[in-house]
Amino acid sequence: MDMFVQDRVGGEYLTALRTVLPNAIVNEEWQTPRQVTITVTADALADVMKTLYYEHYGWVSVVVGNDERPLNGHFAVYYVLSMEGPQKCHIVVRVEVSAITQEWPSVTPVVPACVWGEREVRDMFGLTPVGLPDARRLVLPDDWPDDLHPLRKDAMDYRTRPAPTQDDETYEFINDAKQETTIVPIGPLHITSDEPGHFRLFVDGEDIIDADYRMFYVHRGMEKAAEARMGYNEVTFLADRVCGICGYAHSVAYTTSVENALGVVVPERGQAIRAILLETERLHSHLLNLGLVCHYTGFDSGFQQFFRVREKAMVLAEVLTGSRKTYGMNLIGGVRRDILGDQAIETRRVVAELREDVNRLVDILLETANITGRVVGVGKLDKQVARDFSPVGPMVRGSGFARDTRSDHTFAGYASVPFTPRSHDGCDVLSRTLVRIEEVHDSLNLIEALLDVAPGGRILTEDFEYKPHKFALGFTEAPRGEDIHWSMTGDNQKLYRWRCRASTYNNWPVLRYMLRGNTVSDAAVIVGSLDPCYSCTDRVTVVDVRKHSAQTVPYKEMERYGRERKDSPLK
Amino acid sequence: MFKLLKEILRTGDATVQYPFAPYEASKDFRGKPEHDAEKCIACAACTIACPPNAIHMETDLDAGTRTWSIDYGRCIFCGRCEESCPTGAIGLTPEFELAVMSKEDLTVKAVFQLDHCRSCGKPFAPLKEVEYVGKLLAQTGGETERSAREEQILHTCPECKRKNDLEQVSRMKIAAQMETSK
Repeated sequence: MDMFVQDRVGGEYLTALRTVLPNAIVNEEWQTPRQVTITVTADALADVMKTLYYEHYGWVSVVVGNDERPLNGHFAVYYVLSMEGPQKCHIVVRVEVSAITQEWPSVTPVVPACVWGEREVRDMFGLTPVGLPDARRLVLPDDWPDDLHPLRKDAMDYRTRPAPTQDDETYEFINDAKQETTIVPIGPLHITSDEPGHFRLFVDGEDIIDADYRMFYVHRGMEKAAEARMGYNEVTFLADRVCGICGYAHSVAYTTSVENALGVVVPERGQAIRAILLETERLHSHLLNLGLVCHYTGFDSGFQQFFRVREKAMVLAEVLTGSRKTYGMNLIGGVRRDILGDQAIETRRVVAELREDVNRLVDILLETANITGRVVGVGKLDKQVARDFSPVGPMVRGSGFARDTRSDHTFAGYASVPFTPRSHDGCDVLSRTLVRIEEVHDSLNLIEALLDVAPGGRILTEDFEYKPHKFALGFTEAPRGEDIHWSMTGDNQKLYRWRCRASTYNNWPVLRYMLRGNTVSDAAVIVGSLDPCYSCTDRVTVVDVRKHSAQTVPYKEMERYGRERKDSPLK
Repeated sequence: MFKLLKEILRTGDATVQYPFAPYEASKDFRGKPEHDAEKCIACAACTIACPPNAIHMETDLDAGTRTWSIDYGRCIFCGRCEESCPTGAIGLTPEFELAVMSKEDLTVKAVFQLDHCRSCGKPFAPLKEVEYVGKLLAQTGGETERSAREEQILHTCPECKRKNDLEQVSRMKIAAQMETSK
């Protein structure tokens, strides 16, 4: 590992850290020239995190728990920071948690972005983050046994389904409103995407005063399944299925993490093909979201036009990979299919066609009178809130931060083509939509540029050795923002630990602040602008606490109200 | 509004007539994997490569058979089976219409005979796989026919091979030989 000492990026942060906190760092281990894991003492953890986050422009990517008792007798928690200051790199702050006390000091009070990560570690490993302000479960359901923590190595078989311990939903929703409010529970079904998430809007008349929500109704236990039953190469195909929209981004993030851990050098052509496919995926995802913006604002002909054009991107994916959605193209070490001459010609043809189509449709979209009325100044994501919670993708880029993994960190073939991340300052739904529109054009340009510069040669290398207990990060810029995976190999051709974090995971915690101050009829547009990502539902339940009455409103009715904004179903 | 109407007129009819008209998948579409039992040697490489465990092997020692099966309900059409198959017995097709009326119809099976060890008589490996290995060895050695002795060794299970080897060694009276050579 010493061979790239000269190329290391990020050492300055550690030097600075050692100056202010001389005894904090106990160990330093570099996985790649731009990835370092530092083990810090528990007492210094919060200070280290605060310094790196706020003074050196770090952003929290993910918090990883790991049961390392069979390896070194401790549990460990890894805080992954994406450093986006002058030196772009990843710093992973590792803290060991005693197997006896099973406690470690929470970072959330100083860096709010850690809140979901720490709650998840508590659920999955049964460790206690001391001082964490939010005592509720995040991932596990209310009726899950108290002492069963799925990701502990000695906890359970991955096929175990424990019997429910109680019949009641005990999850407490937080309402910070000062005045009396009416509760509008939505879900476990959701007003925009037919997907399971329980939303509670605390409203005064039509105004949203506060909001809280609960996700993970369809937690699939993928990390456990991957660690328990799949070989490390097969997990690539599971990662493809993390998301129904941006699965390939996960697949690339996963393979990159293992390649980084094992020091695999992927051939340049393989890297370029990965980037081309990632951009193809972004095309169809962004066109879908632009269509949905039309839909939520009551402009359904626009929605149909965008979906018609999006189909061309789907067919392009089929031509290049053999499948419209789950591309199944990756293996550890590269990709499985080359882009041949006629495929490259077809790709250029589709790209040129899409460019014209999208231009015309965007013209129509932005000139439609009621669009501006519905998206300007709506669903504001305040810059400070964004800075505190580390959201990703068009969400954070719509609030003035030009964070984009494609330019911040090197992965796939992006280093070989010019690229500048987009950002808008409006902080509202319009800004996020504009970012997506510009990125559609960027994707089209990137695909052409990558086809131009992709060198010939091999697309896959099998020249590597599986080494036990190596770990590293892998990352991609998915259409919704950074996807990040942390993988540690086992000693049995499997993974010891796989942490897979989808981009929307980082975007949910800020939604609450975006909903505040808007009206109920804007809720659908705001949630839609997050481009949320989870599975299917169909109804909305409305409870009026003042009248102590409950009423179930069909999902279609709630959506209709969001579009037409008359005949409120709440009255 | 005028632009939208123009776009709609320009587009014309965008809906395809499927399922009332055939739908062509692209040339390299990854669809239903087809198994050719004639070529298959029941080596089980595909069962190990298959990420969703759609392909299974079950060995029945009493009947002396090994049953290969694929569950199209679990298949993810990744094509890892095709890549791992040494004889080209399984390959993806552009076929995507897999709906069936009953769930059992999603599973396709093929039964293979096991080879019985010529020493102990117990079944130990699929006959076709043993024959494949025999041919491979012959090809490497540049031979066209196997001697009776080679044939005997080929159809002996690994356990008996070890035992036979040891017995042979003991018959050689190594100790006695070593003494005389002194």
